[in-house]
Amino acid sequence: MAGYLIDPSRAPVAFGRQAVPQLFEELQQPEADGRLRALASLCDLMHDPERLYQTVNGGFLEQLKVLFEDEHSSVRAKTCELLYLMTAHSIGRQALLSSSLLPPLSQLMDDSSSSCRRNVHRVLNRLTLLPAGAEALLTLVPKLMLKLREEEDEEEEEEEVQVLLLSTLSSCSRLDALPALASDGVSLLGHRLSHRSSNIRREAAAVIMALSVCEDGKLQVCEESLLPVLVDLLHDEDIEVQANAAGVIMYTVIITTGKQQCLDLDIIPVLLKLVSKNKDEEEEEKERKSRKSRKALVMYSLRALTALAEAPDGRRLLLEQLPLLLRRSEAAEEDQDIRRDAQTAVRVITWTP
Amino acid sequence: MAFVSQSQRTPNESYTFASRPRPVGNRSKYREPPSEQTHSNYGNIMYDRRVVRGNTYAQLILPTTAQPELEAQRQQESRRRAIARKRAREQFRPSTPAALQGRKHIDVQTELYLEELSDTIVASDVECQTDAFLDKPATPLFIPAKSGKDVETQIEEGELFDFDKEVQPVLEVLVGKTIEQSLVEVMEEEELACLRAQQRAFEELRNNELAEVLRLQEQERRHSEEKRRRIAQQKEVLKKEKETAEKIAARAYTQQYLADLLPAVVTSLRSHGFFYDPVEKDIENNFFPWLMAEVNNSLEKRYAARELLDSKEI
Repeated sequence: MAGYLIDPSRAPVAFGRQAVPQLFEELQQPEADGRLRALASLCDLMHDPERLYQTVNGGFLEQLKVLFEDEHSSVRAKTCELLYLMTAHSIGRQALLSSSLLPPLSQLMDDSSSSCRRNVHRVLNRLTLLPAGAEALLTLVPKLMLKLREEEDEEEEEEEVQVLLLSTLSSCSRLDALPALASDGVSLLGHRLSHRSSNIRREAAAVIMALSVCEDGKLQVCEESLLPVLVDLLHDEDIEVQANAAGVIMYTVIITTGKQQCLDLDIIPVLLKLVSKNKDEEEEEKERKSRKSRKALVMYSLRALTALAEAPDGRRLLLEQLPLLLRRSEAAEEDQDIRRDAQTAVRVITWTP
Repeated sequence: MAFVSQSQRTPNESYTFASRPRPVGNRSKYREPPSEQTHSNYGNIMYDRRVVRGNTYAQLILPTTAQPELEAQRQQESRRRAIARKRAREQFRPSTPAALQGRKHIDVQTELYLEELSDTIVASDVECQTDAFLDKPATPLFIPAKSGKDVETQIEEGELFDFDKEVQPVLEVLVGKTIEQSLVEVMEEEELACLRAQQRAFEELRNNELAEVLRLQEQERRHSEEKRRRIAQQKEVLKKEKETAEKIAARAYTQQYLADLLPAVVTSLRSHGFFYDPVEKDIENNFFPWLMAEVNNSLEKRYAARELLDSKEI
């Protein structure tokens, strides 16, 4: 059995503690096939937290830097996949941040092979799970926006990459929206809102929501007249898209311009419909995830209505619909947050100076 | 091209040579264009030094084992050197002087018994030729004669090992490792999913609260803006009122001041003599000086007359 490999695409793994160091030694060999096999075995091993810990503490990450400049694209892609698996754990993420691997990694974003680029985006996306990671990636935001602009022309194959890119941008922008706004993010993302894939719509709406937290972003959203598009998205079939669109609207109606535009678009009936729920629908929403998204949608819509109630036209319309909201603010509503939101809305609507 | 040559010295000292077969080298289909150096590679076999000619039974048989080969080479070397030496020596050795004119030297045998000298050597030719190959039938398969005892053995099922029992540990390891790996992967995914779900829930609440905070902030801002504007407006109004009051007061005062002004001015002017009756003035300015001047004249005249009269008194 000496020379016989069970799985020819993976290098043999040593037992116990020696597994990881020995595989890393095999990475030094000059032929690409051997390196690819060693990388495949490493990818399998990295799912285990203990091996990950051993890798990180053994300081093997620096060797990966050499592999970034390998001439075989499959080796580069596999290395990025390995990093992707390593960022699944907090230790890996922190190690990646503290090592100096980020600059060469960001250079690989311009790589020629698409699988390599996809894996790089996966790594960056996972990195944003850590707030410190998102902070480190803030410097990369202009480059990511550039990539987004380039990918406007390319279509199908890059959808996954676009989704990853957009979700990375949204995590970074939640931390600090200024870099993305400075690179003219709102207009760029406005195009994506009408993409046919619901994933892209959802992520684009999430980025815009993060951007519109800041004053500048709200103004830009109004200027670029994204509000009609967003109102359309409220009728979308995917509930997450609806929730994100409602979130953007919720932020935008805080400023007066936003209020005006939304009232012109006659948004109140739509929001009210979203807020109201029939009894049958309530029983149908047994699934946790959809109930959670539904909850987000309802909360955002309530907040948007609250903000709209500050305008005289809005208040007039909402006073007519007051019983609906009162029903929601009753104790019958099991969700405490929704109840609180509804009470706030009612309070604002019935406020008199 | 390495080849091992083997040869043996057979009792009758014939020469054998054997070498391992080697593949024929590649050569191009067409001959290369002839170059000037063909001469050195190609030579007439008749004039090739390597070809043995003449009496073969009289020549030295080349030893063919490796060691003697070296000796042979050394011998050849020494032979060549001897020849060279001899030639050098002959140059200095005096030879027979050339024949005088009209005479010719001739070689003559001076021994007792004359022998015939000729270049042709007695030789006899022998030829040999193999017959053409005859067709012969294929050789029958060589089946050696049966010898010894026949023994056979056969492994029945279940005799060597029990598959089900033996395969268990192997299977356990395989399945165990696979399940272990997949468990680890699934746990990882679960962990990540939990992380993301938690983050998302947090984000939603945060967004919510953030919206509320921003809305209240905006409201606050609007209120304070409004307040500031109202205050500014009030201030404006007050300022305007004050200005108006001041203007009225100033106007009243000025009017009062000016009311007295006119008679006082007129009086003062009159007292300064700015209002005059022109006739009176004229009389004053023109008539009176003239009158006085005339009066003076006439008085002068009178005085002059009186003087004269006085002086004439005597």
